[in-house]
Amino acid sequence: MDYYSNISFTVMTVIAFIAIAMFLYGMFTNIKKWSLGSTGYGLEPSNGSIIVFIKTLITQIRKEGHGQPFLTTFVLDILLQRRILRRSPLRWFMHITIFVGWMALFVFSLMMFAVEIIEMIGISLPHALHPEVLRDTMSLPNDVFSYILLVGIIIAIVRRLFISDVRENTIAYDSVFLGGLTIITITGFISDGIRNGGFWGFGIVDSTAPPAALFHVVISLLFCLAYIPYSKYMHMIAAPLALLANKGGE
Amino acid sequence: MAKRTPSINTNNLTAVQLMEIDACTRCGECLNWCPTYDAQDQPAGLAPRDKIKRWKSYMDRSYGLRAKLFGPRPVSDNEMQEFSDDLYYCTTCGVCGTVCEAGINTVELWESIRANLVKRGNGPYGKQNMFPKLIKEYHNPYMKDQKDRLLWIPNGIEIAEKADVVYFAGCTAGFNQQVLGVCTARVMNKLEVPFMLLGEEEWCCSSALVRTGQPHIDDVPRLAAIHNVEALEATGASTVMFACAGCFRVATIDWPRLIGRKPKFNVVHIADLLADYIKQGKIKWEGSLNNQTITYHDPCHLGRHCGVYETPRIVLDNLPGAKFVEMDRIREEQRCCGAGGGVKAGIPDLAVGISSTRIKDAQDVNADILASTCPFCRRNLGDGRDSVYGITGTDFDLRDNPENEMQVEDMIVLVAELMGLSTKIKSQMEEE
Repeated sequence: MDYYSNISFTVMTVIAFIAIAMFLYGMFTNIKKWSLGSTGYGLEPSNGSIIVFIKTLITQIRKEGHGQPFLTTFVLDILLQRRILRRSPLRWFMHITIFVGWMALFVFSLMMFAVEIIEMIGISLPHALHPEVLRDTMSLPNDVFSYILLVGIIIAIVRRLFISDVRENTIAYDSVFLGGLTIITITGFISDGIRNGGFWGFGIVDSTAPPAALFHVVISLLFCLAYIPYSKYMHMIAAPLALLANKGGE
Repeated sequence: MAKRTPSINTNNLTAVQLMEIDACTRCGECLNWCPTYDAQDQPAGLAPRDKIKRWKSYMDRSYGLRAKLFGPRPVSDNEMQEFSDDLYYCTTCGVCGTVCEAGINTVELWESIRANLVKRGNGPYGKQNMFPKLIKEYHNPYMKDQKDRLLWIPNGIEIAEKADVVYFAGCTAGFNQQVLGVCTARVMNKLEVPFMLLGEEEWCCSSALVRTGQPHIDDVPRLAAIHNVEALEATGASTVMFACAGCFRVATIDWPRLIGRKPKFNVVHIADLLADYIKQGKIKWEGSLNNQTITYHDPCHLGRHCGVYETPRIVLDNLPGAKFVEMDRIREEQRCCGAGGGVKAGIPDLAVGISSTRIKDAQDVNADILASTCPFCRRNLGDGRDSVYGITGTDFDLRDNPENEMQVEDMIVLVAELMGLSTKIKSQMEEE
């Protein structure tokens, strides 16, 4: 059975589960590490049970006092990233395009994966949700959000190349993060281009479409999922939690 | 081979704080604002984000995936000491947290890591290690006898036996910059606001211990908090008033945390009371600043930490003859004077370096008077002014302010002067 992009479904599933397992283990390790802290200021460190972090976070989010409501923080500071906009509209534009592009493509990929699995199991889906049909329907949104992501990545690269302060302060920790995103995005364009015979295919023969797609999927899963807890990507989870815990921050 | 143990532990850090360390996006916004980083010619080690990155590295080396699989990797003593020193080159002003895109509560984070380092044997810095001993033994950092707590009160000031307001003077106004205590008391009397004082029962708020990561040593801040809160509650007053931003911060944020409950009184800064009286038209002015330009420096402890920005401006803007102007970097984005976080005591040159920059902000708007509402800001901005203008002298309160130099003064002194009250302290009155 072939996957919608002609990748072997077995290969796809195995890679996906490896990526999910690596992600979960990394998150478990991080939460265990955070749980070595105490449950409140000035208290003794705890025993490292993962419940400690979850409990402390919830308690701090629910605590009354200084700060803004949960929903305000979630919408304005996490989704719309107001704190970045306040400091630098250019950096905000860069970050929001990466954020929106990344999140949308992630959700679209999940949707495709889900309908593939449902189809595999043998559950009948409405015509519009049939993998082939859905792939065509999502083609335009995929393109749009891929370009949005690409714009953000280009701004990030240009900043690091041409703004001396940013360039000098960039370390491997940042470069690996940006490099990973760039490779994922470019390989996505190329694999799609090969399959459709478009500009991004660069005239590469059709037969290379499956391995190109496979390469894109593998590194996407590794960088965008498995690698998150072990890298700077972790801020995608920790920063929103910090904003919620501190009620939007000072 | 014996199994290696982690080089650091998580003492004094909460689970959420450990998570916040992983939230840093390294955007670098904090570098644009940090007063210490700026005053020290921007060494990478003083950048807030670099401190977070280093602590993250220590955590990962000790408790990360690799440490789990192959054992912890050591952090050398030199590396740890260098990190500790860099961390103490911080005024804990909190501007890095204000501008942090991830909303990291940096003030609490620095203080928690400092406490961790003190327990580890790497902190505090310089003379800061004297604070616990002094505050425990004398209940003030100036080695004064508690019996002398009220010596600053000159004749003519009325202290009520019973009132609804207690004025918590603080150690600095009581012993070191007495003009602040004297002016506050005279203004309160003139406004006919009866107030009590704790006298010998007033203990140091212990701000310096919390800020420098020494709250656990002999439990001094907690014991002081319990003592002060109980003494204040025993008066039956509903309001405790502060003219010191440092004490105000401790009473507002640290006391409830240290004693585990909210005190049974309201905490008010004198600026709030004065602004209220101005709005009601209850203040009768008797002097004028004669069109002098005045600007306001927000103390970190009053503004950024407690959110009091507006009332000091209302007061200063209403001073007769005052031309109130704003400097660069005000309110939430205020530039620190450089005295906080134990820096004035531990690294005085750095403190003056930072305050000199603040003085230049005031010069840029042609300010004749730079006002604040914190004795530590007053002292350090005064030192910064002297550094910029090349003034020498030792007695801050008695130092001359020639007309061509900027006057650095506390709001309450200006208010007292313009209300026609004497700003002379007891010793000056006795000399006459």
